[in-house]
Amino acid sequence: MTDYAVRITRLNYSYPDGTRALENIDCDVAAGERVALVGPSGAGKSTLLLHLNGILRGPGTIRIMGTTIAEGDLRVIRKQVGIVFQDPNDQLFCPTVFEDVAFGPLNLGIPPGEIGRRVEKALIDVRLDHSYASRSAHHLSHGERKRVAMASVLVMEPAILALDEPSSNLDPGTRRHLIELIAALPVTLILGTHDLEMVLELCPRTVVMDRGKIEADGETSRLLADSSLMAKHNLEVPLSLRGRRS
Amino acid sequence: MKHSFIDRYANLDSPLHLLDARTKIVGFTALIAAALSIPTGSAGGFFSFFFLTAILAGISQVPLQYVVGRTLLILPFVLLAGLAAPWRGEEGWSWLIALLMRAALCLLMLVLLTNTTRFVELLRGLRKLGCPKILVVNLSFLYRYLFVLSDEVMRMRQARDSRRVGRAGVFAEVKTTGAMLGTLLIRSFERADHMYQAMLSRGFAGEFPVTAPRRFSWLDLGFVCVVALFITAALYYWSPARA
Repeated sequence: MTDYAVRITRLNYSYPDGTRALENIDCDVAAGERVALVGPSGAGKSTLLLHLNGILRGPGTIRIMGTTIAEGDLRVIRKQVGIVFQDPNDQLFCPTVFEDVAFGPLNLGIPPGEIGRRVEKALIDVRLDHSYASRSAHHLSHGERKRVAMASVLVMEPAILALDEPSSNLDPGTRRHLIELIAALPVTLILGTHDLEMVLELCPRTVVMDRGKIEADGETSRLLADSSLMAKHNLEVPLSLRGRRS
Repeated sequence: MKHSFIDRYANLDSPLHLLDARTKIVGFTALIAAALSIPTGSAGGFFSFFFLTAILAGISQVPLQYVVGRTLLILPFVLLAGLAAPWRGEEGWSWLIALLMRAALCLLMLVLLTNTTRFVELLRGLRKLGCPKILVVNLSFLYRYLFVLSDEVMRMRQARDSRRVGRAGVFAEVKTTGAMLGTLLIRSFERADHMYQAMLSRGFAGEFPVTAPRRFSWLDLGFVCVVALFITAALYYWSPARA
């Protein structure tokens, strides 16, 4: 019997102005699986990700590690599901990098002695040395802020990691390092992105979304090589697959 | 974009920088209170305080030009309080001069305090001294997001200037600036919303976590003693019994 990390059943969501953002979403992600969420802008990828830890609550059922969000303890769910937002400025609100990364563990009640060790490890994982700990986020470059934002979520050691456009605005070197970092993490991964080359490297399974609905769900290399599917949803076949497109 | 506002020189390592934030907050506050109490006409009193401030500025290694420059920037606002001078008769001018000197001393001390203490440490020190947590947290967010907002303003100005061709007239400029301010306000609301979602995602449940405090050293004790002695001497010098 499959162990499911995330089970989404008939999820719907409309914005306050009435715009339908999600329509009858059904999606199951097995523990340890790596799934990409792709689709044009406005497809509902970010909206769906925000449902995974109860920030948004549309009608429908979401189970995280077997417990529905409605019935579960949100503290536990938010420890299990780590979401890294697209804009690091939204995630870095403490005076120093150390405090930003320590924010999550402190909220979880991790003992102070253990926090220093965890923060240091998280910063090393994102390739930031200890000199960054006392710096303020507003003195960092965009790429450095993205790494700190990632560290601030990884430090909580989530079982499920949801990333919203993690490679946007990153230089190639930082992007490459990010891909290597994510590839090595022992997590269930849900990756919302336009970076289809990264999807090919990291996620064996892809879900294509458009206008709030799931339009396709299957093996990444097959779906992304389907030129009519890609064109229909304002995407395109990645360069590395262009010789093989169907 | 790199910024530094309030605490530009707070990362130096002079003896003043090494003091615990609480020591400096208490010490400088006491000096400010004493400076505000210097009697009008007490040339010796003003001179001794300016002399002490100069020594502290020298020890701090913060460029004098910066300290004086920041003080002069804010001093004009004090002049508004001095508008009552002509109505005070013959005493008016000496009162105004005393007001300006007291204000200058207070501002000099404040600039020294904020440039020898990182803003983070300053807030932590305030919290340890009993300042309400909600106030400290709000100041912390204000400081952090001033830089984000100033980046937004810079980008909006660049976008406006890139499309500014010819002269649009004063009215059009005012209208554009108004629209920019309105947009900035809306973006601030949205950012606050996203920030709150990020906080919730990392387990925030209404209470802000606290990290470990700094420890006092002999330097802190020394500073407190010097300030206490100075203020005691000043109070004795001004006391009615001595006059």
